Amino acid sequence: MRILVIEDEAKTAKFLKKGLNESGFAVEVSGDGLDGLHLALEMEFDLVILDVMIPSLDGWQVLTRLRQAGRRTPVLFLTARDAVHERVRGLELGADDYLVKPFAFSEVLARVRSLLRRAPQRPQEIIRMADLEIDLLRQRVTRAGQRLDLTFKEFLLLSLLAHHAGEVLSRTLIAEAVWDMNFDSDTNVVDVNVRRLRSKVDDPFPEKLIHTVRGAGYVMESD
Amino acid sequence: MSWNLTSSVAPVSRLWRTLAFRLTAGYALAGLFLVFLATASLYLLTVAEMERSTRLFIDDKLHVLRTMLRERPSDGDALREEVELESAARRYEQFYIRLLDEQNEPLLTTPGMAEQLDLEQLATQTGIRPGRTVRMKGRHGQAFRVTTATAPVGSPPTQTDTIQVAIDVSQQEEFLQRYRLWFFGILLSTFAIFPLVGYQIARHGIRPVEDMAATARRISSTNLRERILPDGYPFELASLASTFNAMLDRLEDSFERISRFSADIAHDLRTPVNNIRGEAEVGLARARTTTEYRDVIESCLEEAVRLSDLIGNLLFLARAESPLAHLRREPVDVVELLGGMREYYEASAAEAGISLTTNASPAPVIAELDRTLVQRAVSNLVSNAVAHTLPGGSVVLAANAEPSAVRIEVSDTGVGIPPEALPRVFDRFFRLDTSRSQASGGTGLGLAIVQSIMLLHGGKVEIASQLGQGTRVTLHMPIAEQGHAAAVPDHHMTKT
Repeated sequence: MRILVIEDEAKTAKFLKKGLNESGFAVEVSGDGLDGLHLALEMEFDLVILDVMIPSLDGWQVLTRLRQAGRRTPVLFLTARDAVHERVRGLELGADDYLVKPFAFSEVLARVRSLLRRAPQRPQEIIRMADLEIDLLRQRVTRAGQRLDLTFKEFLLLSLLAHHAGEVLSRTLIAEAVWDMNFDSDTNVVDVNVRRLRSKVDDPFPEKLIHTVRGAGYVMESD
Repeated sequence: MSWNLTSSVAPVSRLWRTLAFRLTAGYALAGLFLVFLATASLYLLTVAEMERSTRLFIDDKLHVLRTMLRERPSDGDALREEVELESAARRYEQFYIRLLDEQNEPLLTTPGMAEQLDLEQLATQTGIRPGRTVRMKGRHGQAFRVTTATAPVGSPPTQTDTIQVAIDVSQQEEFLQRYRLWFFGILLSTFAIFPLVGYQIARHGIRPVEDMAATARRISSTNLRERILPDGYPFELASLASTFNAMLDRLEDSFERISRFSADIAHDLRTPVNNIRGEAEVGLARARTTTEYRDVIESCLEEAVRLSDLIGNLLFLARAESPLAHLRREPVDVVELLGGMREYYEASAAEAGISLTTNASPAPVIAELDRTLVQRAVSNLVSNAVAHTLPGGSVVLAANAEPSAVRIEVSDTGVGIPPEALPRVFDRFFRLDTSRSQASGGTGLGLAIVQSIMLLHGGKVEIASQLGQGTRVTLHMPIAEQGHAAAVPDHHMTKT
């Protein structure tokens, strides 16, 4: 999958390219609005990551011209200001999603993946990882054949982590997905809940599945 | 000569701009006008009165003579006495009478009349308008009032005589002249005294204002402690002084908060930046193992996240204060919102050994609110409550619908807030226990954010606390609300 990053701040562009490359995407970088627009029109991309404040043509103009040229390429907006009217303007002009700086890279990755997930995934009924088995329909979790006694929220949390196996999920994203807290809340709460989940899912077993990524969040994977 | 003109006009216009000059000019003009009016009207009244009495006197004489001529024309002695002797007996306001027959031959004349008056002139001047009193100058320049009248002689009349009467009014004239002198003297002294007195009064009245101006001049952002002492001022100015002082109190308070706020921002930004810098420097100082590098990078990331959260909160506060800020209102069931909040914090509370319960009415409490913002406000309160309550304590979330407002209450049995700290808990970066709060990751912005969210909703936040007993925070939000434009900073501190 090919991604075009239009961003003039060199360090930001660099870490986006590196991070996305390592996650399996081919990345082109442009530090200029006109140049970026030209690239977007000349070549085929699956996604454009577009900063608002860029030289020669600003993000709004690039987006407008891209849509005028009939390109439906999904666009992820990066903005330094999260004023509501800016978001609304971006979405009205045809952006598909936006991120406010400063953002976590894991957040970028999550948004990119969700934008590129074109076809709705077939709902899984059972997620398996190592000796863990999550039955999504019956809301039952077993590990090594033992039934685990989880609360509803613990079940949601485990399903979320398992569903995004291998992806680092930030505390904010977890709070949003499981508890519907759509703001940077007291993230210690997420830590406490993950700790309690681990005490049931991981502690009694030799292989640990839920891992802490310091400063970033949590990831679930089997070694 | 034009320079002369402008140089004399400019100071006047400059003077006119001073209050003292205007007041003085006003006093002086008003005083002069009043004195002039009083003196002039008295003068005119006196003149009129004197003329009237002269006129009456003459009329009286004429009446007597006419009666005598009509009733007893042959009684020459009586006439002579009336014409010649009575006048001679007077020392002041002497009068002269001449009686003429139809041929204008003098019959009787007051002695000395010809010496005092030019009789020809008298005849011509009064002859034009008989019966009218006219002014005339005597031979020695004295002022006279003269008149000529006809008198029928005998009854029925056999002939018509002419009576000429002249009265010397030079004494009246002298009196009036003295009066005029006095008049001008009074006006002149008024002209000199009024401006002086007026200027003194004006200066005295303006002095407090000048004092205030001097105080105001001494005030700057670094010196906000100056106050006007309100004693000794007249009532109107005392209220101005106290208004001014109250304004200074508010300014000083805001300045203090702002400077404390800036200092706190600097400190809170510096700590994580310092950590990142130090760890990166030390990490790069010599070759290390991958694990060590990893540790450094992870620690830097943690600090960056802390910075990012802090900036996010500061931006939130700044945006909430902007007049462009607006809410995305939607119908929110407050009871359900509190239920979600309880679920979110349940695990944390359980770990801390605290009971976390909701105590809301079973029926939904629905209001048009910005769900995310209200969630955020309540979340900050619950987070504080859980953090400051000891094991075994409890935290209760309650919601009430009043006719015009929704009330959300978060109460705990925690450590409480000292009364002296209560007024400052909504200040940005205010922390009760600096070291502990920082260690636990709090930014000290939680309650400031709660307050700004309430202001955006046109509501208010109240906090009541007792040391060692617990704290209760109440959020009030009006249900029907036009916007946050009418919101005023209004938080009340009460002690229970």
